[in-house]
Amino acid sequence: MDGEQTPRLVLVGQPNVGKSTLFNALTGGKAKVGNYPGVTVAHKSGEFFTPHGKKVELVDLPGCLSLISRATDEAVTRDVLLGEEAPDLVVVVLDASSLERHLPLALQVVELGLPTLVVLNKIDVAEANGTRVNHELLGEELGLPVVPLQADAGKGLLDLKQALRFPLPLPPHPAWQADGPIGKVREDLSEKLAALGVAAADRKAWLLLADESYRSDESNGLLPEAEQVVAEVTAEENFAELVDKSRRSRVRDLAGLVVSEASGDEETFSDRLDRFLLHPVLGWVFFLGIFFLVFWSLFSWSGIPMDWIDGAFGALGDAVSGALPPGMFTDLLVDGIIAGVGGVVIFLPQILFLFFFLGVLESTGYMARAAFLMDGIMSRVGLSGRSFLPLLSGYACAIPGVMAARSVPSAKERLLTILILPWMSCSARLPVYLLLIPLLVAGSFAQGLVLFGLYFLGTAAAFLTAFLLRGRVGIEKDQEPTFLMEMPRYKGPDWGFIFRHLLDRAGSFLKKAGTVILALSILLWALATFPQAPSGEEQDQFGYSAMGRIGKVIEPVVEPLGWDHRLGTAMLASFAAREVFNSQVAISYAIEEGDDEEGTRETIRDEFRASYSIATVLSLLVFYVFALQCLPTTAVVGRETKSWKWALGQLAGMSLFAYLTALITFQLVSLIT
Amino acid sequence: MKVTAHSLEVDTTVSLNQAATGCDLQVELVAGENCGQLRDLGFCEQMRLRKITNRGRNLICSICGSRLAISNHLAEQIQVRQLS
Repeated sequence: MDGEQTPRLVLVGQPNVGKSTLFNALTGGKAKVGNYPGVTVAHKSGEFFTPHGKKVELVDLPGCLSLISRATDEAVTRDVLLGEEAPDLVVVVLDASSLERHLPLALQVVELGLPTLVVLNKIDVAEANGTRVNHELLGEELGLPVVPLQADAGKGLLDLKQALRFPLPLPPHPAWQADGPIGKVREDLSEKLAALGVAAADRKAWLLLADESYRSDESNGLLPEAEQVVAEVTAEENFAELVDKSRRSRVRDLAGLVVSEASGDEETFSDRLDRFLLHPVLGWVFFLGIFFLVFWSLFSWSGIPMDWIDGAFGALGDAVSGALPPGMFTDLLVDGIIAGVGGVVIFLPQILFLFFFLGVLESTGYMARAAFLMDGIMSRVGLSGRSFLPLLSGYACAIPGVMAARSVPSAKERLLTILILPWMSCSARLPVYLLLIPLLVAGSFAQGLVLFGLYFLGTAAAFLTAFLLRGRVGIEKDQEPTFLMEMPRYKGPDWGFIFRHLLDRAGSFLKKAGTVILALSILLWALATFPQAPSGEEQDQFGYSAMGRIGKVIEPVVEPLGWDHRLGTAMLASFAAREVFNSQVAISYAIEEGDDEEGTRETIRDEFRASYSIATVLSLLVFYVFALQCLPTTAVVGRETKSWKWALGQLAGMSLFAYLTALITFQLVSLIT
Repeated sequence: MKVTAHSLEVDTTVSLNQAATGCDLQVELVAGENCGQLRDLGFCEQMRLRKITNRGRNLICSICGSRLAISNHLAEQIQVRQLS
């Protein structure tokens, strides 16, 4: 290892084992997202210092059950460990309270022959269950350092850092295989592959023997000559089965040696709680109640901070108007920038409340129960509960949701999940909903109910579409999706995780408001201000401006939806970012009203109420629920599905569907009212 | 017909979805299209488990102190023997 290079450590472990908690505890939560060399998938990385003053880089890899990958995100971990730029140390994180289940992954890493260190996390949970793990004996048996710790309380971190003394631990000796026939075959294969110039030949030989699906995968990058060698070696024996049996036998021996358990499985607090939360009837009552409470609280709890922001932007507008002489520049600042950016930033408290509640539900362990309940419904449309968590991520933003779909093992289910995911109402739609809902109903309970209804509408349409599309993606009608998930124990909210997440979200929202929304606000202001109506003529400035003229061109298209040229242009502008709808509406009213009146929320709503019918507001809401107005999402869908046909088809299909449903809504409601 | 010890043992096993809830069980055989996935999750031969509940198309088991939910379709691929 080059003395000047920062050693790279990677965290490997099963999902829910506490890898991210350990990562945050070691790095102080200061993570950046990047790509591992040779692997074009984003991961978190951070840095920390050992007690000896050595700086190390720590990479948090996606959770995986096995290095024999069955889901796309698991392949990331496999590719990092088997790549040419191998990490300097693999830190395998195991759940001490469930060691026998987690040991096979540790043995797989050991078999690769990389320097390894084992962390026994959740040692407190193991002790509370009456399980004792002799970590010293485990270390002796495996031939590598084993450190017990409790990452969420920061206990044992110093021991872990002490174990990272340099030089780093040597690769252990996989005694259960090296001397047997498997070890010999692997050695031979490795030599032959190395002679053919295959990089990381020893690790590649392990994977080719252990993973049949990788062997037959055409994208494994093997030359035909190397494939020929592999075919000859594996022709007579099922090495994958032999390797697996040998490893599992070793796991049983190890568990028998180092784990001593109290009698049987006792009923836990989580089991008792699950009797209610997973009950066929009561479970749904709790599920709907919890999510309704979330939406209701967005309206009832965020009024005060929203008023502060509203007041601050109003005061800022007044101060700027008072300090600067009237003119174009003052108009740009007050009507363009302050009104445009303020019209979006005001919804920050509600967005943060949504993420706060989602963070609480996730960190307490309830989300896995929600997935369990939803599985019953989702299986009827060709999906399993495994798709629920990516879909739920879509409520925050479709892009991480699409990427989270990598955790769905079935390729067909993954495609179907990605195709319907943008119908989960993302947080960019929230400012539009929050502006329009008070035009329909008053009172936080009724407003919360309407918001809940909009989320339900998007979700229900997504499931209906999944049902209709499942044949197109190759899922047979009688094919039953499989569900397989760990139900973590309930625990108190992880406030550190929640508030770090809130800070991230607030940061990215404000960054977007300060960059994209600001730039678009200036652009929209310019389009709505120029060309200037000739002075001395009684002419509507907005109608004379470029924006007004564009609006007139598209008015025939949007008129059947009950929209005028102003709403038409706002809809067009929001293809850049949905929140721009609010900016555009705020800017257009600010320009029309002149400087006499501030473009506050209530003013805009009063103007809106006077200008448009209930049918128009409903038509707008329906359009925003269904339209895919996010080109970055289309780009990510294209990349993840490796098909522009699906990505562009999704964009066109969702836009057309949004237009038609908005049209039907306006026409039907107009008939009734 | 000759009755072997192996056939007697197989006769005493049932698939996990057929086993009664609340019982302590031992995995005898994992076979089927998803057996690798099931083994990765902890449903390996000789592993002891308890079936906690059976809800709709899924069931929940306790293995090594963890609670795992699997669909009945997957549970059919796991043959278990009841422990006395």
